[in-house]
Amino acid sequence: MELVFELEELPEVAIKVLDAMSDHKVLAIHGAMGAGKTTLIHALCLAKGVKDHVTSPSFAIINEYQFQEGASVGKIFHLDLYRLKDEEEAIRAGVEDCLYSGALCFVEWPDQAPDQFPQDTIHLFMTTINERSRSLKIQFPG
Amino acid sequence: MQDQHGLVKILAIESSCDETGAAISHNDSILSNFVAGQSIHQQYGGVVPELASRAHMQNIVPVVNAALEKASTKLSDLNAIAFTQAPGLIGSLLVGASFAKSLALALNIPLIAVHHMQAHVIANLIPAQKPAFPFLCLTVSGGHTQIVLCESALSMKVLGETLDDAAGEAFDKTAKLIGLPYPGGPLIDEYARNGNPRRFKFPEPQISGLDFSFSGLKTAILYFLQEKQRENPDFVRQNLADICASVQDRIVSILLHKLKKAAIKTGIRDICIGGGVSANSALRKSFGELGQAMKWNTFIPPFEYCTDNAGMIAMMGYYKYLASDFVDLSISPSARAEW
Repeated sequence: MELVFELEELPEVAIKVLDAMSDHKVLAIHGAMGAGKTTLIHALCLAKGVKDHVTSPSFAIINEYQFQEGASVGKIFHLDLYRLKDEEEAIRAGVEDCLYSGALCFVEWPDQAPDQFPQDTIHLFMTTINERSRSLKIQFPG
Repeated sequence: MQDQHGLVKILAIESSCDETGAAISHNDSILSNFVAGQSIHQQYGGVVPELASRAHMQNIVPVVNAALEKASTKLSDLNAIAFTQAPGLIGSLLVGASFAKSLALALNIPLIAVHHMQAHVIANLIPAQKPAFPFLCLTVSGGHTQIVLCESALSMKVLGETLDDAAGEAFDKTAKLIGLPYPGGPLIDEYARNGNPRRFKFPEPQISGLDFSFSGLKTAILYFLQEKQRENPDFVRQNLADICASVQDRIVSILLHKLKKAAIKTGIRDICIGGGVSANSALRKSFGELGQAMKWNTFIPPFEYCTDNAGMIAMMGYYKYLASDFVDLSISPSARAEW
């Protein structure tokens, strides 16, 4: 599945991505610096009803947000593996705990620790077409 | 629980990210403030959580002992233990929290949970020259960019914060784009000293209110470099100082425009800057100039209280102690923090 869109269309794109995720919990977002990974995750979180500020976790590694899910409070992990060097460090940082927690996880720079991801992870590849538009390729597991 | 002279001694522990810190305070003065040198981080590039939490475990006892010794304080002299409860990396926070809880239990003294970002604001009350309440604080670091209204030590409000990247991250990612090694922020400052800050123009984000955005700037720099390098592959090397000066100038102007707006909006004249990025020489200079023009009283804590440190945790702990704001042993650290 491939989507080409302008940045203004992000809210609709986010809804399409969430629909495509269906029951899958982990979304690994690949793309170069400036491709718009954090911006996309911001749109995904907005679409889920997150009220927290969705900021880059490049420094913090793991951000945690909350949203209202019916009567209960749902949790979203926003991870950024940019600073991690290998799988071992990812485990110690608590990345695995998040990815297998059953909570929604949006992960930037997943290539830093590819073996940490559950089998049913959906991979999304973001590329820059020009300043305003991006392409998204969604790869389903299996 | 204060001694007969009404004096309060607090041991504070900070372990929210990469630094293990311990400090001893005596009322509102800091007797000792130690940070374990985690040089392994520089060696490996960046804050490496795995190393961080292991290093915290190795460092915490020596750092606490050093702080006690420098302050000529015995464990039995302590009135309370304060620790960073949130926000931070959970693995790192757990080490400090467990240590603080165990010690408070063993000594049978109160335990105080401290919000790391509030402590950055309260760091401004450590020096003899203190801002008067209410004051504003711009906290800028690798992970945070916030303008906080501080009405009292126990009453603070976030007026604006970054919607995407932190200012320190903008420095570090720019450094990465122009091929500088980690940590990039201080290097940009260094190269910028010989550069022309007006040579290249980078856009100021159009964000309403007092919030910040640095993600668009990062992308603008990326496109700018790509375009210039297509014309001249050696562009970065030949123009390094001017690029650094121009980027730095824009980051500083974004920060100060919002700070000025906050000061005008609130009518507050006591204005502070804290966080690791306050070491940036252009930010310090422009902040001083703006302060003079606006007739502000400006404050920047000594650098040891700007980066992550336990002294600020002790200071916050002191004010919470006075308010008997204690926690019991069921408290657990949290990656998130409410204000």
